[in-house]
Amino acid sequence: MEAKIQNIHKEIKAKEAYFSATQFQLIYARFRSNRSAMIAGLFLLIMILLGVFADFISPYDPTIAGRDKDYEHGAPQIPLFWDDNGFSLRPFLYTLERYRGKDTNFRWVYTLNKEKEKRRYVSFFPKGWKHKALAFNVNLPGKKFDFKIPGFTFERHLFGIDSGGIHLFGTDKAGKDIFSRTLHAIYISLAVGTIGVFIAFVLALIIGGISGYFGGWIDGVMQMITDTVRVIPPIPLFMVLASFAPPEWSSETRFFFIACILGLIGWPTLARRVRTHLLSERSQEYVLAAKLCGASPSHIISRHLLPSFTSYIIVDLVISFPYMVLSETALSFIGLGLREPVNSLGVLLQNATRADVLLNYQWYFIPVIFFIVLVLSFVFVGDGLRDSADPYKVLKK
Amino acid sequence: MINFIQFIITRAFLAIITLLAVSFIVFALMELVPANCAERYLAFKNTQGSNITIEDIEAEERRLGLDRPFLVRWSTWVSNIVIKGDFGDSCILRVRINDLMKDKFFLSLGICLTALLLAYLIAVPVGIISATTKFRSLDNALKFISYLGLAIPNFLLALIIILFSVVFFGDTMTGLFTPEYVNAPWSYDKFKNFLSRAWLPIFILGWSATAFALQTVRALISDEYEKLYVVAAKARGISGMTLLWKYPAKHSLGPIINSLGFDLNRIFNELPIVALILMLTESGALLVESLARTNDQQLAGAIIILLTGTIIMLNFLTDVLLAVIDPRIRKGVMGGS
Repeated sequence: MEAKIQNIHKEIKAKEAYFSATQFQLIYARFRSNRSAMIAGLFLLIMILLGVFADFISPYDPTIAGRDKDYEHGAPQIPLFWDDNGFSLRPFLYTLERYRGKDTNFRWVYTLNKEKEKRRYVSFFPKGWKHKALAFNVNLPGKKFDFKIPGFTFERHLFGIDSGGIHLFGTDKAGKDIFSRTLHAIYISLAVGTIGVFIAFVLALIIGGISGYFGGWIDGVMQMITDTVRVIPPIPLFMVLASFAPPEWSSETRFFFIACILGLIGWPTLARRVRTHLLSERSQEYVLAAKLCGASPSHIISRHLLPSFTSYIIVDLVISFPYMVLSETALSFIGLGLREPVNSLGVLLQNATRADVLLNYQWYFIPVIFFIVLVLSFVFVGDGLRDSADPYKVLKK
Repeated sequence: MINFIQFIITRAFLAIITLLAVSFIVFALMELVPANCAERYLAFKNTQGSNITIEDIEAEERRLGLDRPFLVRWSTWVSNIVIKGDFGDSCILRVRINDLMKDKFFLSLGICLTALLLAYLIAVPVGIISATTKFRSLDNALKFISYLGLAIPNFLLALIIILFSVVFFGDTMTGLFTPEYVNAPWSYDKFKNFLSRAWLPIFILGWSATAFALQTVRALISDEYEKLYVVAAKARGISGMTLLWKYPAKHSLGPIINSLGFDLNRIFNELPIVALILMLTESGALLVESLARTNDQQLAGAIIILLTGTIIMLNFLTDVLLAVIDPRIRKGVMGGS
């Protein structure tokens, strides 16, 4: 009897929790039950953290300034905890000795010195290259748009090494650390995607909002425009627009330009979704009530209609994000997007295109893995969010 | 019947309007490039040592008709394309665009349409299996593969395949023909040679198209499969393939046909970069070359118009096809007959 009453109490509690939960609590509860989306979300979080704290985590400057001139085309160096000479709590690397002379035909030959005395130990939180946080130095065409915020300068890094270099993912042709470059590339690709999605989103809200709210002939004309832009294959269109960028532009200008292009072409799909949501919502009674109270269209759209499907919009944004990253990568890959010294995933992929890379320098492909993981985790998270965006919908088994 | 013809005419009219709008956008983009054709022609002469004045440029502009207003130039450009099939001259390479293109566009079209066909040949049966299977792990595995189709972009796949074929076969597998056939006239042998090379781009372009189509088919079938009418049919004792073909598959045919246009769009989208990596001698590679290397906007505009025109045409055809086979739309079109 006791147990039964307790069970009923539990049930009531669960129901109360369900009915009193906010929409986002319900969405999260449903999202959590989707295991693949949760795992993907974890990966995504790691990726974003790696990107945001790229300066702190990477031991070297990703640009040419941080190059290791003694270790070009160098293989990845994996820190060890033990070897034949015993165990060490601090991970260490072997010392690399290079030699060139007549007997090697004057080419550098690397040998690992495995003696215990020659071990190089990994150090944590050492001082390294200077990096800035919250510093902006934007140099757009036209003096008026230039602005500069000094920000803070830091020198500490997550890890380094006592002497010599530590290159977890190896180095490239110029001796730049691929680990540092990959982290910065994740950051740049995410940043381009974010700006692109943001611009696309604002355009989509305006165009889709007007089209869906007013309906009628305005909707017809807007749909015509949207369909026209949608029917053109986007990457060729990106290419046309990107080829406008004069080669003498600085890399920051290029970055903003490419991000803007991505946004300017990416809006139609989003706009269509906003319109569909609006069309189904605008005949609801609460909209009529607001209208009768004399609210203006912009007030109704922004205060009543948009909040009613915020969760859907977030889902759409997450879903459209990987496409932005993919487009940026494709553009940079053919040389029309970002260029060195900016590191983006596309720029790094471009480095891996040569045949000798696969034969001799396989570690150039490490950024590719990051790229695939990034896109995959975005797709899975987006999928999971889409399933959980409507918490009141009955789940199919 | 009258209604049906009326429907086709309206659709054709809409398609033409869209095409005109696209051509306007593309033409405007071509015009936005700094330096027009006259300046480019004369800049070339300038490098040859002759002095160029403003008057020379203006005379050249008059000769090329560049002094006329924008709308007039746009309408001549469009009408030349439509009536004579003439895309004008490329002012960087100083040759007619039609000579540059030759059969290149039809090569691309052949490759892309085959890739589309291949994608659906694989996606429809596999998607149905994925939606109706009792084994969740099989469904999840297929789902994961289809996500990989998005996450591994075509150009990356092409790159990996090329690199592996260099290592293991010693042949790059690039290009559409082996060297001896590149400039040969079309013949049965050349066609065979083409097929021996073209399967790779077709496979690569079909790869992500298959992934997308798989997701579409899976979603459609699994949505329909749980509806009450299917349950009712099951209760009547219909099962297996009969059940599938009689109801859900028939129902999902409409949306699948509808999505063909956008799938072709997606394939065209990836064509240029794949073509660049595989060194295909067709219009996709020409497009990249014209934009990334020579900055030849006329050529690029012509190719984009052709690609978009094909998509619009396909959309029109699928609309008509849908009206013919889908009784719901047919009824709407024919007015209840």
